[in-house]
This record gives sequence, structure tokens and C-alpha cells, in this order.
Amino acid sequence: MSHATTAETKTWGGGRSPFNVSYGKMMMWFFLLSDAFTFSAFLISYGTKRFFSEVWPDANSVFHAFPFMGHANLPLLFVSLMTFILIMSSVTMVLAVHCGHYGDRQGVIKWLLWTIVGGIAFLSCQAWEWTHLAHNTGGLWGTFTDPATPLDKFEHFFKHGTITAANTNAALEASHSFYNYFFTITGFHGGHVASGVVLLIMALINTVNGTYDKRGHYEMIEKVGLYWHFVDLVWVFVFTCFYLL
Amino acid sequence: MSAHHTSDNIQHLYEGDQSKLYSGVMAHHTDIKSTESKKQVGRIWKVFWILLVITVVEVVVGMFFSASMPRALVNFFFLALTLLKAGYIVSVFMHLGDEVKSFMITVLIPLVLFIWFIIAFLFDGGFWLEMNSSFPIR
Repeated sequence: MSHATTAETKTWGGGRSPFNVSYGKMMMWFFLLSDAFTFSAFLISYGTKRFFSEVWPDANSVFHAFPFMGHANLPLLFVSLMTFILIMSSVTMVLAVHCGHYGDRQGVIKWLLWTIVGGIAFLSCQAWEWTHLAHNTGGLWGTFTDPATPLDKFEHFFKHGTITAANTNAALEASHSFYNYFFTITGFHGGHVASGVVLLIMALINTVNGTYDKRGHYEMIEKVGLYWHFVDLVWVFVFTCFYLL
Repeated sequence: MSAHHTSDNIQHLYEGDQSKLYSGVMAHHTDIKSTESKKQVGRIWKVFWILLVITVVEVVVGMFFSASMPRALVNFFFLALTLLKAGYIVSVFMHLGDEVKSFMITVLIPLVLFIWFIIAFLFDGGFWLEMNSSFPIR
């Protein structure tokens, strides 16, 4: 039948790859798309709560510490370092992918190792920041809920002189929401970084064992790379929403 | 049912086709020291410097200037730079710019939903604030 012959030549009729990408890579993209919606649901809900509040903590007042610098006021400096580490690890990742395109095993191993180092460095920074915030500001999930909390426990999260008797309650609620969202969103992102490091280590073991050489291509490095860049991409938005806006 | 449905042949379909489906920059390269390869690496480092400079500018503005500038302008500035960074990461680092156009469109079109998503929810927050300030419960 002529019907069957036309079906075979149709672009979307099956049996060919109109997107010219493998199944695994396409599915990684679609997974990342769904993950983008999860993260954006978090960030937009953070934005909704922020629009809902009369006052909101000021990033320069909350995030101003740096390891080993005591009480020096260094706003945004530490998170800039974290951002730099993550961008850098994204570069080493894309260089690993590039070496993979050329079947250069030694290059892939070298750049994957640097990417793993970057990922672990970022997680260590995050561990320090969380510990610091929990110990020095008293902020963690579910904190700042007691209406009797003295004003001097949370007044300093806000721009100087913005908290009055009229908005003390709103400021307490805003501090509560701010820390809830901060720890949930950076925690969810940190979880992604941690699983990314695990994937990178697995890819590294496979590379060292020559699995991808036997397979004839290093596409797995590219798929793990997509995930890793996505994690960097999410951080770009987290950084803007929590530290800049 | 027929003989070609054995597991060996299915394996061949998955493994064999995968390597043929390398697209864009992936196709048939062997020499890591070639000019083409060096050009790619140069492009990667160029994007790194762009991302670094944008981040430094953002941090400097956030630290020293954002307090004295109009809020709407600051927000627009930060969001525009964020989207620029995101564009570079997706297009160059994730190689979406090297994929076929129909795939780029397929990945990017669902993001249009964000326009509704952001506007609707932020307006909702603003509306609640207005209602709460106009008709306070306490």
C-alpha cells in the first residue's frame, strides 16, 4: 500500500531522529525542563511571600560574614566566592565534555576531577554558610515564630531604621519566611549539587575503566554535563533572588 | 514475535543508534589539538570571562549602588543580567545553540509558561498585601 511507504519517509513517522539527538540526551533535557519548573515554583513562591510582606530582610545585612574574618562586615563577598566556584566548575565540566567529543580520555579524567573538586568546594562553602547562619543569626527552618521574640533578635536583618512598632509583627513573620525559603531552596539546590558530584564520580570511574572508549563515544559525560550546568544555572537564579534583588 | 525481537538486536538499536546520533559539535572529531578544537576551547573561556565580569558587576552594584538607585531600575538591571548569564550557560555550556532548531524550540517553548507564572503569583502577593493593609484583621 502506498500509505505505508509515505509513512516511512515522513519526518515524524518514526524510525528516524528528527531532533538528531539520542534518546538519553533528549530525556535529560526534558527532565531538566521539569526540574526548572520545580525550582521556579520554589522561587516564585518566595517572590509571592515577599510581595505579600510589608518588610523583607536585606541581603547585605543578613549575608555579611566570611570564614576566619570574625565579625568583619563583608556583604555578599562569601556568596560571590561560591558563585565563582560554581561557574568555574561549569567551565571545567564543559572542557571535560569537549575532550569527550574528541575521545581524549586523559583530558576527560583531568577536567572531571577538577569539576568534582569544584563541586565539593561549593558544598563545603554551603555547609559553612548554613552553620554560620544557624549559630550567629538563629535562623533555621521554623525559627522566629514566637510572638514574644525580642526585637533585637531580628531587627538587624532589615535595613537600618526600617522596623517600627507598627511593623514589628510583619518583620518577625518575614524573618520566619525568609529563613524557611532560604534553607529550603539552597538545600534543594545543594542536594542537586551533591547528587551531581555522585554522578561525576560514577562517570569518572567509568572513564578510568575505559567504559566509554569501549562504547565508542563519551555521550554519558555530555549528559552528566547537562545536569551539572543546569545546577549552575539554578544557582544563577538563586543568587539573584536571595542575594541581589 | 519475529526473530529480530531478540534482546541482542534491541541492544544494537539502543547502543548502535546512540553513537550515530551525535549532533552539532559532537560529530566525528579526532584531533584534540586541531584548530577547530582550540577555537571551541577559546569560546568556552570567553564565555567564562563574560560570566565572571557580569557576576562582579552584579556584586559591586549590589554592595555599593543598589541602595541609592530606584528599586525598579535595580531589579530590572539584575534580572536582565541574570537572563543574559542564563542564555550563555544554556547556549554555549549546554550546547543548546549547537542542536537543531526544532529541538531548541521544543526545549524553550514550555518556558513561555513562566511569563504567566511569575506575573500571576507576584500580583497575587501584592494584592494580599494591599488587602491586609487596607482591611487589617488586628
